[in-house]
Amino acid sequence: MWENRCKIAVSGVGYSKVTRSAEIPLAAHALTAVKEAVADSGLQMSDIDGLATYPELPATGHAEVDGISIVSVNCMMAMLKLPNLTWHIQVGSVNIGGAVQQAVNALLAGVCKYAVVWRAMHNPRGTYQNLPSGNAAGATQFTAPYGFGGPGQGMAVAYTRWLERNGQSRDKMATLAVTQRKHTQHNPHAYFYGTPLSREDYFASRMVAYPFCLFDCDIPVQGAVAIVLTTADRARDLKPTPAYLAGYGERLKFEVAGRIGSLADYMEGGASSAKLTWERSGFGPKDVDVAQIYDGFSASVIYGLESYGFCREGEALDFIQDGRIELDGELPLNTFGGSLGTGRIHGLWHIIEGALQASGRAGSRQVKDVNVSFVGASAPIVTGTTFIFVKEPY
Amino acid sequence: MSDWSAVTRPIPVPNEWTKPFWDAAKRGVVELQRCQSCGHFQHPPYATCTQCVSTDLKFEPVRGAGTIYAYTIMYHTGDKRFASAVPYASIIVELDDAPGALMAGNLLDAEYTEAKVGRRVEVVFEKLNDDITLPQFRLALE
Repeated sequence: MWENRCKIAVSGVGYSKVTRSAEIPLAAHALTAVKEAVADSGLQMSDIDGLATYPELPATGHAEVDGISIVSVNCMMAMLKLPNLTWHIQVGSVNIGGAVQQAVNALLAGVCKYAVVWRAMHNPRGTYQNLPSGNAAGATQFTAPYGFGGPGQGMAVAYTRWLERNGQSRDKMATLAVTQRKHTQHNPHAYFYGTPLSREDYFASRMVAYPFCLFDCDIPVQGAVAIVLTTADRARDLKPTPAYLAGYGERLKFEVAGRIGSLADYMEGGASSAKLTWERSGFGPKDVDVAQIYDGFSASVIYGLESYGFCREGEALDFIQDGRIELDGELPLNTFGGSLGTGRIHGLWHIIEGALQASGRAGSRQVKDVNVSFVGASAPIVTGTTFIFVKEPY
Repeated sequence: MSDWSAVTRPIPVPNEWTKPFWDAAKRGVVELQRCQSCGHFQHPPYATCTQCVSTDLKFEPVRGAGTIYAYTIMYHTGDKRFASAVPYASIIVELDDAPGALMAGNLLDAEYTEAKVGRRVEVVFEKLNDDITLPQFRLALE
């Protein structure tokens, strides 16, 4: 087990308003989320001495403008003018879960005391994957000429392989979309709060990239979320009940750029991250009381459930049936609605929900008797990270 | 059947790693990068062998017969260059001679509904301009 097990905790969390399009600059969303998270902890902004984010906009063909389309660490420093800042980082290779892990490491190293991590996501005007060029250079020269435009198709090809090799039907995915939307109705911060989804809606929706229909894809939105991390002893003196970090992991296997459609790539990536997390925390899949698994595209949940070890390969769409992922089910899943319910904010919202469930702060969607709360913070394909939060720091 | 006539495909830009692939395609041959140390074929080309990390890599011809490893049917018209062809099948093919080396393509001369994992296909070549010819796929003649 990890010698630093339960020595770091998530304290406060914060959200901006989530809107379909950019009504105000993204920096204002990020600022709201950060201020809310700090206030939720009962801290003053001057207490914050660590900052971390992963700022990337996962869209193609749009100008990167700091404060408008991304919110970098530099942008946040300029806005907050923190008098006691001692540490910051902007990660590039491990998505937002990596930023959280670096903040954990900085706290353990004693180079900061209260770190804030935010994820701000822009929805650019026009087509999200805007590919105007007549040329296909670099890794895209082997894919773009065939109409492979965005990440959705890359996920879709692995999904067809999974479905047809395992003799499965995409119809079973309706259960995930409908159940998560039901959970969304307990999350007032989510984009689809107040908008239920029926099985009929799912089956009637237009196809985007088979096997993905509209409701298999998270909707691009503008918004931000944030968390405060601190050491366990400091967290106990703050307002919220802490969610203690029992272990984390990150993906250790990658295939070369430009390779597409390899299901094995997703599975090996997810398994490598989960293995670290199980070993460090001392828990296994059977110990988990509630799980958040990244769902930017619905099939990510399949790869997550299987590669993390919650069920066997080929069985995930059967595993999610019969109420198992409901709030009172055997493994309540994406209890905040997931990205399919909140809109595309990436994995920090999954981490937030994992922490809230562990600390008993999830309100009307709180799962009963949670101790072990698991998070797969991004799809195995995109630089997956995994976390376990617990209520009892034993 | 998908109508490709009005599609403007992005033109591949070969680089130092990938030029032999495109030169071979222009001659109507599929050549893939092969490790001279362990014999492993790989695609897309890379600086080292992804199996044994050898840097002794050469392009070698392979036969154009393979199976559909995975596919997607594109319905979304966000990419205007391809909008006139929807729905169309973008497929991933594993060639018999190069297990593990996955090539992208479209399923040509067939209904998009014919795309299935495991279906036998063969390479055909689609000339884009005087410099670039694209390896493509159609259902194999039994």
